[in-house]
Amino acid sequence: MSEIIAAFLEASVRLGAPLALAALGESITERSGVINIGLEGSIIAGALASALGALAWGAGWGVGAGAVAGLVAAAVFALFALGLRCDQIITGTAVTMGGLGFTAAAYESRFGATGTALSLPTLGPVTIPLLSDLPLVGRAFFAQAPTVYLAYLLAPALWLYLNRTGWGLELRATGEEPAAAEAAGVRVVRTRVLATLFGGALAGVAGAHLALAHAGTFGEGMSAGRGFIAIAVVVLGRWNPLGVLAAALLFGAATALQFFLQTLGLDLPYQLFLALPYLLTLLALAGWVGRARAPAALGKPWPEPT
Amino acid sequence: MSSSADAPVAVRLRDVHKRFGAVHALRGADLSLGFGEVHAVLGENGAGKTTLLRILAGLIPPDRGEVIVGGRVARFRTPRDAWSAGIGLVHQHFTLVARFTVLENLALGVRWGGGGFALPLRDVRRRVERLAEETGLAVPPDAQVGTLGVGERQRVEILKVLLREPRVLALDEPTAVLAPGEVDMLLRLLRTQAAEGRCVVLVAHKLDEVLSVADRVTVLRGGRTVLEAARSEVSADLLATAMVGEAGALVLGESAATTAVRRPAPAPGEPVARLEGVTLSGPRGERALKDVALEVRRGEIVGIAGVEGNGQRELAKVLSRRAQPLGGRATVPPDPGFIPQDRAREGLVPDFDVAENLALALHRRGEWRRGPLLLWQNVRATARDLIARYRIAAPSTRSLARALSGGNQQRVVVARELESGRDLLVAENPTRGLDVAATAFVHEELLRLRARGDTGIALLSTDLDEVLALADRILVMVRGRLVEVPEDARTRLGVGALMLSAGESQESSSSV
Amino acid sequence: MRSGAFPFAAIVAPAAAFALSLLVAGVSLWLGGHDPLRAGAALLGGAIGSTDAILSVTLVRSVPFILTGLAVALAFRAGVWNIGAEGQLYAGALAATWVGLGFSWLPGPLHLALVLAAAAVGGALWALVPALLRVRLGVGEVITTLVLNFVAIDLASWAVRGPLQESRRVFPQSEALALDVRLPALWAGTRLHWGFVLAAVLAVALWWVLGRTLIGFKVRAVGSSPEAARVSGRIAVQPVTLGAFLASGAFAGLAGGVEVAGVTYALYEGLSPGHGYTAIAVALLAGLNPLAVIPAGILFGGLEGGAGAMQRFASVPAAWVGGVEALVILCVLAIHQGVRRFGRAARDGGDEGA
Repeated sequence: MSEIIAAFLEASVRLGAPLALAALGESITERSGVINIGLEGSIIAGALASALGALAWGAGWGVGAGAVAGLVAAAVFALFALGLRCDQIITGTAVTMGGLGFTAAAYESRFGATGTALSLPTLGPVTIPLLSDLPLVGRAFFAQAPTVYLAYLLAPALWLYLNRTGWGLELRATGEEPAAAEAAGVRVVRTRVLATLFGGALAGVAGAHLALAHAGTFGEGMSAGRGFIAIAVVVLGRWNPLGVLAAALLFGAATALQFFLQTLGLDLPYQLFLALPYLLTLLALAGWVGRARAPAALGKPWPEPT
Repeated sequence: MSSSADAPVAVRLRDVHKRFGAVHALRGADLSLGFGEVHAVLGENGAGKTTLLRILAGLIPPDRGEVIVGGRVARFRTPRDAWSAGIGLVHQHFTLVARFTVLENLALGVRWGGGGFALPLRDVRRRVERLAEETGLAVPPDAQVGTLGVGERQRVEILKVLLREPRVLALDEPTAVLAPGEVDMLLRLLRTQAAEGRCVVLVAHKLDEVLSVADRVTVLRGGRTVLEAARSEVSADLLATAMVGEAGALVLGESAATTAVRRPAPAPGEPVARLEGVTLSGPRGERALKDVALEVRRGEIVGIAGVEGNGQRELAKVLSRRAQPLGGRATVPPDPGFIPQDRAREGLVPDFDVAENLALALHRRGEWRRGPLLLWQNVRATARDLIARYRIAAPSTRSLARALSGGNQQRVVVARELESGRDLLVAENPTRGLDVAATAFVHEELLRLRARGDTGIALLSTDLDEVLALADRILVMVRGRLVEVPEDARTRLGVGALMLSAGESQESSSSV
Repeated sequence: MRSGAFPFAAIVAPAAAFALSLLVAGVSLWLGGHDPLRAGAALLGGAIGSTDAILSVTLVRSVPFILTGLAVALAFRAGVWNIGAEGQLYAGALAATWVGLGFSWLPGPLHLALVLAAAAVGGALWALVPALLRVRLGVGEVITTLVLNFVAIDLASWAVRGPLQESRRVFPQSEALALDVRLPALWAGTRLHWGFVLAAVLAVALWWVLGRTLIGFKVRAVGSSPEAARVSGRIAVQPVTLGAFLASGAFAGLAGGVEVAGVTYALYEGLSPGHGYTAIAVALLAGLNPLAVIPAGILFGGLEGGAGAMQRFASVPAAWVGGVEALVILCVLAIHQGVRRFGRAARDGGDEGA
């Protein structure tokens, strides 16, 4: 039984990690007042670029290529939503659609539509000495791909950045009250663009994790809605990087559960567990599970149109 | 008119001009500020005080004229430049992040876009505590700003500027939002700041406060500096006259409007609206309507004067049926016309065309509807008629409201509300931001409506001249209460005095 | 649908946006080593190359685009950012399937009508939670509608593996609907079904309601400027918002029901490959005008319908069309912002001289 639980935990972490990476980035983006629904586009772009990069230069460089591709997709979003001040929701939806469409087309053009699954150099697990020897949780949490450790490290680092640095204060002010931030000499648009690009790059790394650490291949649409899920993760984590990491692992566990219910031969509707984190997100938004309040200026264009 | 000799000149603004579109806000304003003095800038609404202050703080550049700091001409491109020159402005509308703590807001202000990694909260806390001790500006450092009252927020805003140790401390109407006790504290603080060698500039329009605190006074009228003197050299009467102009002459509308009203109303008709003991909470629950009684009769213009934030907005809402009073009785006709002061946001749908905007209030009319249908032919016919009658400069009924000039937008609103409100019309600052021609148009229409005798008109305005020129009866709104102005006090000074005395009586009786 | 719309907004701008996106898309093809002209010809051939292509491919595919496009257009006109058409579509499909497989004692036409009504009600119910959250608690609808998309997909997935699974319990799909609850073909021998007529009639109806009726006027006023609607129009904003939100959900739900009753005859996982998101592109290209949603929906139906042919004859991956849809959205947004800014600049310049 403990083996099954350990395997379940391992899968939870592995499935939760890309959500954590994307959602950590998005939490920074959203704290600056920007909601980037184009995250899915960054993830899938990151996945494809990491696959191509890994084929050309090896898995490590593949992660870098993924980050760059995610950043580029976010740059398209930033150009329209922050530069031209188009509606953020619609722009984000377009970036997602474009990301999914063009990556699939590019992949088919390059490797053929019905070809056998691509086999990629993968990001192998890195075992952390001592910690990985912990009973039950050791291997689940500390024998994972390097990208997982990136998520572990980023959560507290971003928390410190937001709450303990001057830049973090300025970023939060930008997302709460851009007028006040500007009156305090903060360059609002620049801050928002940087936060958006950062979120896109992390989403690209999330895509790289999917392709190189989780699947070992690229598949059309393999992001499978994770960009949207990451938006929900940010809400459930209440825009706090530490909470976001926990919420991502919860979503990961919900996904992992379906496999284990089947393994154990339990005839429970696994979809209920899949849907559970979403329902929790709704409850959080409604104020029934703690208080999840979005940054006050989230999604609003700046400067305000006259 | 020469600058004082006893205080060293800190900053000078010379012959400053500024236009905003058709509005000529400043046309040759001078301001000479010395260290160690409290300098009051006086003037009526629209005299250009705030514009002058914003130029001083680098928020907007002047069209002409110069800002001289320490004997050298300074060019402020951003507020940051002004700040580097040691000038700090306490904004009229607070620039605080509601969900931050007081300390975080102060830290944000101190950093001032300074880059850098560290967030010196501990350092800021120490400095705030010291500053609070020195100045008496007590603030709860760990409270969220959103939970604070207006007075506390202002203290945070002032602290934010003081923490940057400015040499010139400018405040824009700082007393407008404060309770009486808070006002006294603020004025004492300004005196100490000046005593420490800083230059304090204070924009205000309440004479008594200014007289109690200022060393020097500059009076603006119509965008020009008309008086600069030491406080000891001028009397309250002199200052009031300077603000209003020599003969107390009315700047606006001149005689046509004035004489029309001076004649008694054609027939003092029956009452169309009556408020008795009405109470209502304001947006933050702080300035309510308190026991307001009012009657509006057909064929009269009831003018309600008062400084912004004293309850006129709430009164307008109750009178126009946009809000239900909390207590008391409001008898108001079912479909009153209402000219809201925020024309662009509340008066019009910018993306609707002229006819649709007219239909906004008129859609309840029988002749425009058949069952669930709006009869657009009839709407457009009426719209064409109104465009002609009210001389709205729109190419057709299909012109979008957002494409019209401000004056023409207001013509659309006025036309609609005059047509829809057959018993009662409530006009809330109906000429705010309009140019002379558009203002005259609105006044003429109000007077014409009055002359017809069917409609009762409530005119709520912060522009005293407008009220004096148009109203048959005048009431003053002070801190949520309405006071009737006696016939023999129908002068600017008389009404102004009533505002003050009513405020004082309120002060002594209030237990805030 | 502005009664004061001028040709530029109605025709020139979307045409320019579409042309611009085709240009960018063509360049992307060229960069990918394809021949854009050949690909275009193949796509056109697949979409409108024959009567059968037009009727059985393009128009059939346009039906869910028109219906979800109407859902999005109505929502956006009412100031509701309903990103949940996808989930509402699934909710409608689920309700339609459930009613279609049961109630078999009902006479055929009545049963079919009930199926479609159930689809609309299902979609509206799926919109009810985010609508109430927005109106009662002020919770923004973007995230709530988005999140409910996934819940709806999970719900449908559960249904076709559980209570609605076909009787052999092999495939994750429902039993097929009986013949008399299927939408009949418009012309024998084609796959074009009466759902197309329904969608077109609803588009005209929505256009008429928004433009001619008082309630439509209120919806537009509330959507365009809630403050002015409340203060100057004395319109109760919340009920109007709630009603438009639910109606939007009903349109999307109906799209799901019509797909089940007209095309698939059964509920599947993956019934919609993202129609609810494509709907945003459809509605935007139509300028949120319900009448224009018909041609915009047909255009997207042709794009997706021709994509298969393009893949076969020009070996351009069909997925590329999804990218083109995204370009259409971005181009519409950019042109819209450009026009607004240009207009404002021109007006401000004019005011200066006044």
